[in-house]
Amino acid sequence: MKRFDCMTALAKHLEDELVILSLGASVDEWYNAAPHMREASLFQQQLGCVTPQAFGLAAGLPHRRIVSLDTDGGMMFNLGILATLGNERPNNLFVIVWDNECYQSIGGPPTHTASGRVDIAAMARGAGVEKAFTVRTLEEFEAHCESGLAADEPYVVVAKVAGTVQPDIRRKHSDGREDKYIFVRHVEKTEDIVIMGPSEHN
Amino acid sequence: MKQSAVDAVIRGLKRAGVSIVCYLPDSLFKELYPALDADPDIRTIRVTNEGEGAAICGGVFLSGKRAALVMENSGLRASIEPLARMGLGAGIPVVMLMSYRGELGENNWWAIPHGYTMEPLLNALRVPYRVVREEEMIEQSIVDAYEWSYNAYYHSAVALGGSVVR
Repeated sequence: MKRFDCMTALAKHLEDELVILSLGASVDEWYNAAPHMREASLFQQQLGCVTPQAFGLAAGLPHRRIVSLDTDGGMMFNLGILATLGNERPNNLFVIVWDNECYQSIGGPPTHTASGRVDIAAMARGAGVEKAFTVRTLEEFEAHCESGLAADEPYVVVAKVAGTVQPDIRRKHSDGREDKYIFVRHVEKTEDIVIMGPSEHN
Repeated sequence: MKQSAVDAVIRGLKRAGVSIVCYLPDSLFKELYPALDADPDIRTIRVTNEGEGAAICGGVFLSGKRAALVMENSGLRASIEPLARMGLGAGIPVVMLMSYRGELGENNWWAIPHGYTMEPLLNALRVPYRVVREEEMIEQSIVDAYEWSYNAYYHSAVALGGSVVR
């Protein structure tokens, strides 16, 4: 199962959602797989921050569906967020963990999930997130996207994907600061709120 | 903390527009946490480490709501990586309220490192901060931190020390 194919399948189900995603090659893949979601996606280079940031966004916008596109390396960097989700029980947060069993962006050394013993979905269930599943086929993945995007409790899908990157895709040019402004302006526009407003005249 | 200092913190948070507080409890602020939990205008989120709390606060910023990260100053050390990534890399601010363990008057050996490291780490990250040891300065200092962070789009901190927390 290829991550890019999963992203393409997920993108078909997204419209008004907000997405926070992890670092590495998945950034460029998402940029190409979901061009209609570019302004609605926060592209961040932050191991261990993605799902916590997505949860913070979900807490601040409880009427809006938030999607976290995390990774095996990123989730294992801060497993505590699973316990926080288990207790806080956000009803608008869908978490996908791209588990390619390696640190792909630095050449592919294995993560702990490569051993076959470490199971992120089982850890999520142990942390109180009952709706946590591992998927290995595109059909399973898409079915869980439909369920996860409609769930009224935290929902985690660990997608076992190949350690390859979609070839010949356009690189995203903007940096984290520009991405933040694009995302914040999108949230302001779609929520009719001011997040980064003008300074005072004085 | 005295009840009057707890009240001043909550007044400051409310004047600053804070509706979500992430915290990992500590002993010097032990009276503050249940008061935050009990306040109907504030949602508290307990976290497993302060770095996770910083990242959640960053997400709250992106929603247009205002959050605070409340912790012992040792939590600053646990938060350095997400603070550096969010603040220096993307301009996503987190406002921190921390107890100042390890300053003069500290009576626990294990808290001494917190005093050595807090201000140098804040300075390394170029995070402006105010150490508050007088109760009458608490409320305005919290308001000032938010005013600054929402113009700089960078982190700021208020550390409560001295008789305010002992």
